[in-house]
Amino acid sequence: MTAPIGRVVATELKPSTPHQFHFWTARESPVGIGAIVRVEAPARTVFGIVTDGFAYSDLLTPIHDVIGADGDPALAGFAPTERAQIRLYTAAVLRQLPEEPLQPVPLGAVHLASDSDVVTALRMDAFLTTAAPTGIPSGVYAAGGLEAPIYLDADFLLGPEAAHLNITGVSGLATKTSAVEFLLSSIFQTFPAQKGSVAAVCFNVKGPDLCFLDQPAELSEEDRRLYARLGLRAEPFGDVTYYAPYKADGVNLNTLRSHEALAANTVPLVWGLREVLDYAEVLLNKDDVDAKADAFIGFLGERVVGREFRDITLSDQPLEVKSFADLEDFFRRIFDFMEVQAKSSEVWRNHHIATIRKVRNRLGNISVRAKGLVTDDGQASDLPWGKFADRSVHVIDVAGIDPLAQDLVFARAVSKLKEHLERRDLGVDHVVVFVDELNKYAPADGQDTYVRRMLLELSERGRYLGLVLFSAQQFRSQVLRRVVGNAGTALFGRMDMDEISSPGYATLSPATKAKLAALPKGELMVRHPHFTQPLFVRFPRPAMLAGRVGVERFPPAVDLPFPQAVARQLRALDPAVTAPKVEALIDGRREEDVRKALHATRRTRPDNVLAFFTAQLGKRVEREVAPARGVTGLKKTSDPYG
Amino acid sequence: MSTRASGWTRLRRAVAAQGFTPATWIPAASEGRAEEATIRPARLVEDLRIGGHPVGAPEPWPGTVAFLDGTQRYEVMAYAGASPVVVAEIAAAVLERRDRQMHVAEVARRRLVIARPEVLGDLEDAIEGHGAIEIPEDEPPHPVKDFQLARREVDAARGRLEVEIGHRYRSASNAWMIVDGALSESPQWARDEKMLGVAKSHATLPFGGGDLEHYLRLPAGMRSPVFEPAGNEVAPVFSWALRLWPWQGLNLLHGLIRVEAAATLETLARADQLSRWLLAERAPVSTPDPRWDRLLYGIRAVEEYLRASGE
Repeated sequence: MTAPIGRVVATELKPSTPHQFHFWTARESPVGIGAIVRVEAPARTVFGIVTDGFAYSDLLTPIHDVIGADGDPALAGFAPTERAQIRLYTAAVLRQLPEEPLQPVPLGAVHLASDSDVVTALRMDAFLTTAAPTGIPSGVYAAGGLEAPIYLDADFLLGPEAAHLNITGVSGLATKTSAVEFLLSSIFQTFPAQKGSVAAVCFNVKGPDLCFLDQPAELSEEDRRLYARLGLRAEPFGDVTYYAPYKADGVNLNTLRSHEALAANTVPLVWGLREVLDYAEVLLNKDDVDAKADAFIGFLGERVVGREFRDITLSDQPLEVKSFADLEDFFRRIFDFMEVQAKSSEVWRNHHIATIRKVRNRLGNISVRAKGLVTDDGQASDLPWGKFADRSVHVIDVAGIDPLAQDLVFARAVSKLKEHLERRDLGVDHVVVFVDELNKYAPADGQDTYVRRMLLELSERGRYLGLVLFSAQQFRSQVLRRVVGNAGTALFGRMDMDEISSPGYATLSPATKAKLAALPKGELMVRHPHFTQPLFVRFPRPAMLAGRVGVERFPPAVDLPFPQAVARQLRALDPAVTAPKVEALIDGRREEDVRKALHATRRTRPDNVLAFFTAQLGKRVEREVAPARGVTGLKKTSDPYG
Repeated sequence: MSTRASGWTRLRRAVAAQGFTPATWIPAASEGRAEEATIRPARLVEDLRIGGHPVGAPEPWPGTVAFLDGTQRYEVMAYAGASPVVVAEIAAAVLERRDRQMHVAEVARRRLVIARPEVLGDLEDAIEGHGAIEIPEDEPPHPVKDFQLARREVDAARGRLEVEIGHRYRSASNAWMIVDGALSESPQWARDEKMLGVAKSHATLPFGGGDLEHYLRLPAGMRSPVFEPAGNEVAPVFSWALRLWPWQGLNLLHGLIRVEAAATLETLARADQLSRWLLAERAPVSTPDPRWDRLLYGIRAVEEYLRASGE
């Protein structure tokens, strides 16, 4: 047993209670805020965590110090004797043994917690020492020269008991992203076999944050030591696929991960009309959502899009609506009919023209605002629904696209995950969805959006499906309370004082708040269902390249002119493809046709890339040169107003 | 004197069980004064007349310094007829100052029962583990007189305990030691050239008349000439008064201490130096103790330690 470092004291003014006690230590004691201590008393052991500290001397009033120093502050430090001082700490009870009857903390010797004490104090024994342990290393607790691994319970992190994780912290320190990357890596390495398989879907919402999860980072010796202490391998994720929409040109990817060396696992995210229409509700604001719009969208989905639609009022021939261009043509025919043939009517097939116009505007809007995401050829390039591999990471890069398109991507991806997990045909049993900037998607204030409702649904019921939300934001207080409240595990990095002053942090002691406000990078405060008090832990730097470093090492490729961009896309499939060959092939072709051929080639990934691409391009239609009409040019004059 | 009696409850019950009348205290002011105010003329050994010696700016004491003090608490716990049975706890400690920090170097505690001899005999079983001290029985029992006698015995026992641990410390250390009170408690102390006694009490004064007035009106930072107090024939010492704090506007005794040191030429030569060291001990001030103007912080630290660590 270690030597005591303090002694519990209790007075009438500062009594011990079943949840709190006070103890004094020597001045040089290594105890600090967040340290875990053990109180030994006859027939009772109490574990506590230091939440506040006080120091004072036997000086009754400051004036006596002035008198003793003859009013000269410089002399005050030369008093031959230092005043008697006390270091008095307040600790919150983590656990008492025996647990019943629950009694005030007895007077007793105070010891710094050992590794095994930390396990007991944080009730980690409940999930570490069972026949099927479910501990996920989350960092180390360090105090007084002791360092103990801290585990989170997988049953409470990824369900079914509790689930979800939320992390709060100021921007710019990269702590939030680093913590999630490290924790995901830890989950992938230690997720208990009996709990099945797990994958992650991460939304990269800003800059290059999550763009290099498959690239190794340079780690310090200290980081490697921490990994070893936690029993983890310091390595990047092995199976990562990046999905990014195209830019408006339809051939250059809209991502900062566009370096050619990383092209092999960076694939386009392209959706057709069908994919968009299924989630059209995302595009509608609250005022738009009404039974009429719903009905018309339902009509489009069930009767029109992807089917042969016959309506003599619109066309003699069956209409085929596969793309946004087809849809626009469809709407144009309706409006033409209404304007020309049905002058007195404002209703087409029981749908009011205003409703039709509204739906047309919203759908048309997305095709414009997310031009690189939606395709006119009707063929989607999507996540591998139903074929998710165990321990695979899927990063959807929406950092560069319009907010409306971000909402659409987010809503569809999560909804698809939910659908597949409900049917148990996703390919994995659990999926962690990581969303940064949660205050943007699920704000406490503001209008109720589809995405916000979906996040709420995910946070409240996702754990039963194995769908787990890992979320992050700068200001927890600005996120919908029910969403963060449902997160069984909460991490807190360095916090802004304004944020800490908000009511949500009222239960933290002033000292804990002060520590939070100055928390160094790589340290977090953890709340977890097994821990009765928040705990400070240190975690190593993630073993994968940070976004900022990644873009320096793998600078984004410059946007290329259309022919070269197509060549680059094909070269990702077959390095033998050269730009001149591709340029010669597509010279004189319509860009839409080239894009269709390119997308088809990417989807198929044929053995002979160039041959397949050429076949998809089809026969070349020679360009017709219109004969000159013989319009006489204007006479040149030196007078511009002439 | 403390009224804390929790530690004595068992003893009190045992004594009551022997048929003695339970009691807790004597009425305030009924015990008289332990020390009568008087003037005992001293012999000047430095100057021919009383005058102030400026000692110079305070200087920190070099090296390790020890502080010795003792405490006592006592109360009447029973009456055997009219005579009180007094129980006492005495304690003494030496705290050593190293690198501006106080550390306990020596400590001793005793528990005593003071009563008339026949009473102690009757109580033999009940007071097991306590030291027994008899008070003289040449006069018939008197509750106040006997209590005063008992209190003197407690004072004396405490003094002996201080001497005991003082010797113990000095046998193991050559550091300076400052004692609360007079060095004349022990001839050995009186000869020790690295011990100082610091008396806060001025009930017995060394001069009378105009000399006394000069003595009591020493300005701050000045000392009196060195003199040899009367009545210390067994353990002669040299002494001088030192004003630690300005007294003007307060009272004549404010900040006035009397220093005792070995009666040697070395002491005469070092009186200013020793005074400068003592002046530096004004800080930190010993507030909130009401004697803060004369109580050195090191001595107060010993008292606080004994008080806090006692039963």
